[in-house]
Amino acid sequence: MEDHTQITETLIQGDDEKLIILVQEALDSGANPGKLLNHVLIPAMDVIGERMESGEMFIPEVLMGARAMGLAVEMLKPLLGDGESSSAGKVIIGTVKGDLHDIGKNLVSMMMESAGFEVTDLGVDIAPENFIAAIKDQNATIVALSALLTTTMPMMKATVEAICESGLREQVKIIVGGAPVNQSFADEIGADGYAADAGSASKLAKSYLN
Amino acid sequence: MFKRMEGFSENDIDKIHNAVMEVLRDIGVAFHEPEALEIFKNHGFKVEGRTVYFSENQVMKALDTVPSEYTIFARNPENDVKVGGDNFALLPGWGAPFIIDNDGEQRNAVMEDYENFCKLVHTSKYLDMNGFLMVMPSDINPQESHLDMILANILLTDKAFMGSPQDRSKAVDSLEMVSILWGGKDKILNKPVLPSKVNPVSPLIYSEEMVGTLIEYATLGQPLEFPDLILSGTTAPITLAGTATVMMAEDLAGVVLAQLINPGTPCVIGGNTCATDMRTGGMALGGPEAIKIIHIIAQMGRFYGVPTKSGGSLTDAFFPDMQAGVESALSMFTSIAAGSHFMNQSCGILAGFNAMSFEKFLLDEEICGMVRKIVTPVEVTEESIGMDQIKRAGIGGAYITFPETFKKCRTELFMPEHATRGSYETWAVQGKKKVHTKAHESLIKRLDTYKKPDIDPSIEKELREFVAQRRAAISK
Ligand code: B12
Repeated sequence: MEDHTQITETLIQGDDEKLIILVQEALDSGANPGKLLNHVLIPAMDVIGERMESGEMFIPEVLMGARAMGLAVEMLKPLLGDGESSSAGKVIIGTVKGDLHDIGKNLVSMMMESAGFEVTDLGVDIAPENFIAAIKDQNATIVALSALLTTTMPMMKATVEAICESGLREQVKIIVGGAPVNQSFADEIGADGYAADAGSASKLAKSYLN
Repeated sequence: MFKRMEGFSENDIDKIHNAVMEVLRDIGVAFHEPEALEIFKNHGFKVEGRTVYFSENQVMKALDTVPSEYTIFARNPENDVKVGGDNFALLPGWGAPFIIDNDGEQRNAVMEDYENFCKLVHTSKYLDMNGFLMVMPSDINPQESHLDMILANILLTDKAFMGSPQDRSKAVDSLEMVSILWGGKDKILNKPVLPSKVNPVSPLIYSEEMVGTLIEYATLGQPLEFPDLILSGTTAPITLAGTATVMMAEDLAGVVLAQLINPGTPCVIGGNTCATDMRTGGMALGGPEAIKIIHIIAQMGRFYGVPTKSGGSLTDAFFPDMQAGVESALSMFTSIAAGSHFMNQSCGILAGFNAMSFEKFLLDEEICGMVRKIVTPVEVTEESIGMDQIKRAGIGGAYITFPETFKKCRTELFMPEHATRGSYETWAVQGKKKVHTKAHESLIKRLDTYKKPDIDPSIEKELREFVAQRRAAISK
């Protein structure tokens, strides 16, 4: 395979304009779009993820990288062959009903996007039925619930229960988070997973793929 | 009282003010509550959808009716609290779901913790009044725990306290309960007895719950605190000037609504705005930007003639260690020295508001005492200069033997309860106790010696009946 270190570096630097030019050049000189995505761009995003975790890269730098990645994926999408997918999976994310805190939820959403997930962010104050509608609509495989208030944590439980009742429970993994939430609460309400921050949230989501 | 440290020059202030007015005029502020939109419309404000636009005239006219000083009344008149001018109020921590104990272990807070904090507030030499939601009790249905917390606020201390801002119905319950305490709604109309927070959701939004809360408290003329909580770089520009602009715009929008509802309703602007920690995207509550914004808040408040809220003993640390001490002392000192008036979070908070620590509560209290001492004006009189003593001692004399020193040795100087002084040997012999250990020991004593203040039994009965009846209605 050709040397694509320049693409890797440009993506890590978050230089979207240059990245698009480089990706186009690579395509023009005959690079395989699927390989470009899976062997160059996604591994570069993994590097970004690691550097974020170690504190080497700051959040806005990570998000710039993610944005550049998004643009490159848009370019490659129409060129991918059958069976080659640009998405790691479909995620529905939202802050549960009654809760308006979204700073952490937004970070989780952005990190998941940059890890290759197709994320539908429903926003804040989301009722169980809206999560269910979105799961059906998007045919999602992961649902991510955020809550920052003790008063709205019971709504997480209600949302999990509603998903069970709707018959969609088998289809999705449910992950929960937010400052007052912890692993034992996640277990108690029957969620599949809990993560303490955005980096581990996207790792957790990835761990459900096989 | 003092020359304050100021973040802005006069010219800077003008620029910020113009920017604030531009935001209010051209971007506007969203109010997610139709009742508020009606009020704005009826007063001739431009409203489109949920967005309200403000002209400079409209803002300035509303600011005219905001009192620059006011008193919050306590059921024990000795504990009335003056706010504004050189007067400030210190209140305990707010909103923590967790307790971090003396071993650094974190657990869910329970109602008993809440009650213990009330007892500490009641016996505090340095806290002026109680807050609300010092911890979020995990052992009570969160839809009813506001009733228990207000009841504890009333019964366990005779200091003034705050009401619930969690949503409109909890605000109504809080106001009902203080009406019982004061003998009727008419007794508290336009008499400040129950301040409440009203949090804007940055940038530039007031949620349905918060506007509902604002309407309920303002209708009775109860003080409103607008505790902005911007994370610079996330919910406002990363620069302090930009952050100050967004903060003032959303705070003033709330103040205007309060004045339209009930002119003269006391308001407090400012908040616990801080930077984003760019490594994690979380808060940098103990960082220098958060300290700097305290000066800016106080200065902008003086410019607009509105009392301010900021700081407290803030920290991102998870234990009452040096980080916690330094960050807390810096923010507490700065809040008071900058001239802010209303400091929630003055005692106990850890983990960027996510936890309370009993030990830190006592240590923060000590810092509050020190800061109060630091800002108390120095008395300069013939007696305090003490020329006769200076002559008596002459060159090389020993003042420690003087009757004047003897007379004032317990009253003139601040004596810490927990800070260690003296010799290494004594410290070692006494077990090399770190300051949090000492605080833990005095905590036990303090709670043991607490005495519940008296209250008219008929009022207590009526309050308990109200709580029982509301609890039944809520859990239905
Ligand atoms: C900023 C803030 C606000 C802002 C929200 C702005 C916004 N757009 O989100 C405003 C001012 C509007 C606000 C309002 C209120 N708040 Co508030 N708020 C905070 C504060 C200070 C920071 C939250 C934050 O953004 N942190 C930064 C982000 C990056 O961290 P994070 O949210 O924890 O998210 C990370 C992880 O938790 C995790 N995560 C988050 N979601 C998810 C989801 C999944 C699936 C996974 C896997 C992981 C995950 O990953 C994230 C990134 O690393 C917290 C205190 C705190 N330290 O948490 C209080 C806090 C949460 N608020 C509190 C309260 C009480 C309120 C109010 C009721 C008002 C009040 N002062 O009393 C209202 C309620 C409004 C409502 N109905 O929701 C309490 C909650 C107590 C409790 N547990 O019940 C806290 C703890 C503060 C306090 N001590 O009073 N708040």
